Amino acid sequence: MTDATLSLQSEADQRAIAAIRRKNAVWRRILRDPAAAAAAIFLFVIVAAAILAPLIAPHDPYASNMRLRFCKPLGDRCPTFLLGADNQGRDMLSRILFGLRATLGMGVIAVAVGGGLGALIGLSAAYFKRLDTPLMRLVDVLLSFPSILFGLAIAAVLGTGLFSLVIALSVAAVPSIARIARGAAQSIMQQEYMEAGRAVGLGDAALIWRYLARNCWPTILIYMTLQLGQAILLGAALSFLGLGAQPPTAELGSMAADGRKFLQIAPNVSTFPCAAIFLVVLAFNVLGDALRDALDPKLRQ
Amino acid sequence: MISLPVLLGVLLIGFLLLQVVPTDPATVVAGPTATKAEVAAIRQQLGLDEPLWIQFGRYLGRVLQLDLGRSMISNRPVVDEIALTFWPTVELMLACLVWAVPLGIALGTLAARRRGTLIDRAIMALSVMGVSVPVFWVGLLLIQYVGGAGLLPFQGRNGPIWTPAGFLSIILPAVTLGAVFVGPVARMTRTSLLETLGADYVRTARAKGASDWRVTIRHALRNAMIPVVTLVGLQIGFLLGGSIVTETMFAWPGVGRMAVGAITSSDFPLAQGAILILAVGFMMINLAVDVLYAYLDPRIARS
Repeated sequence: MTDATLSLQSEADQRAIAAIRRKNAVWRRILRDPAAAAAAIFLFVIVAAAILAPLIAPHDPYASNMRLRFCKPLGDRCPTFLLGADNQGRDMLSRILFGLRATLGMGVIAVAVGGGLGALIGLSAAYFKRLDTPLMRLVDVLLSFPSILFGLAIAAVLGTGLFSLVIALSVAAVPSIARIARGAAQSIMQQEYMEAGRAVGLGDAALIWRYLARNCWPTILIYMTLQLGQAILLGAALSFLGLGAQPPTAELGSMAADGRKFLQIAPNVSTFPCAAIFLVVLAFNVLGDALRDALDPKLRQ
Repeated sequence: MISLPVLLGVLLIGFLLLQVVPTDPATVVAGPTATKAEVAAIRQQLGLDEPLWIQFGRYLGRVLQLDLGRSMISNRPVVDEIALTFWPTVELMLACLVWAVPLGIALGTLAARRRGTLIDRAIMALSVMGVSVPVFWVGLLLIQYVGGAGLLPFQGRNGPIWTPAGFLSIILPAVTLGAVFVGPVARMTRTSLLETLGADYVRTARAKGASDWRVTIRHALRNAMIPVVTLVGLQIGFLLGGSIVTETMFAWPGVGRMAVGAITSSDFPLAQGAILILAVGFMMINLAVDVLYAYLDPRIARS
């Protein structure tokens, strides 16, 4: 056997090992579950629809036409309105597309801001051992406090509106992400390259950014995505209470609240936004369960 | 243990809430015809010219004496308003827990015993749907189909729960609130029970010849209940959120509906009092859960 074949063989081996590794990658394992795969595809479509709302919405979501008031889906008066019209004769489908945009948008911003802050707290707690106890106690306190009360308190102080809502949702997202980030960072802290980095004289900031954060972010990002479902549910509830988006803004929670008054004559006005929230949150939760199963070796057997 | 700092934090938020009130209390007390000097005198009299931390200390003293100020709209003491709305909220929460927790435990036990079967998968699918559905959708559907058909009342509270009219009026709100609670309880019971069913003492009980269901219920379930109690305690905050939405939808005269109404009508003292009582109530429930642990697991009480 020559050196060439040996190296070839080992290259093939390496490729096989790499393939097995890829196959075991968390996302692959998740997507093998048909329900989780369906949820992922559904979310992809929904997010695309929300982003492209101004391009694909068949009508103007804010153009009211009183002659089309409470038109049934695809009714005689509004043959092009797939989901009917609301109390002001606005196209429900267009409003739901724009509503998804607002609802998902506020969730994404809140989880990005709150999650970013949470990640910073978690990484600091893992890196600076002296900060661990005080920071994590703070996180416990935040975690034990019902997030809807943050929503109420912030709406009371800053007034109702999307801005207060996003702040409340951000605060609510901090503690759980902080815990996840701390857990992920603690396992990285035990790696030898952290020691090596310190040995070559890197400062705290460089170690945290170049070694710790870059190795933790995939885990943190996955959990942030899954946190979106909870953020959306909470945001929709606060909007439903009239503490979030204000009319005429198309937002799913406030649309559902609007339709409440016309439940008996036109149930579609509140049912479709509610169903949209339900399906989006359900998809996030199904995906989240699959992820938890994939990450927990005890359940994998 | 963590209750005290949380309580102080809540009080601080409540105090700051009163600081941002756009109207100056001294001007209001002095009346529209008062001169600048009179307003300044009243400000001094009310202690509004002192540093914030002294004012905060005074505020803490007033709260300890149950003086939460007066509602800006009804002009009645906030404590009286809270006293009126407190019991309906407790009633609603109890009416929800009393059916949702046993049903959740029963479904979870069934799913664990029939692990991997169609029953198990159906129960778990229902449970994930339960945690994903917005509370207000459940409420809207019940109002539309049950309330709209005239089967049950859905507007307000028609009396205490022990009167027939009161009992009928609490059914729909309690079903709405409980519907989102069954799922998490069922799931936690299943997971926890699956763990205890593999324990040594369960094998011992089986070896003694105890029947399957007797082993499940007498030996495994009681030990599996500890994480479930934890979950119920943790989910109380979630339940609180649900109850605020439910109360608002069903015009249920509780603290949550009062808080939302006070915020949307800018009645700051009332909003602050309502948020305070919700936060304190939440902490009391957590304390009760800790006590319940000791009862379920004597090992915790002894250590």
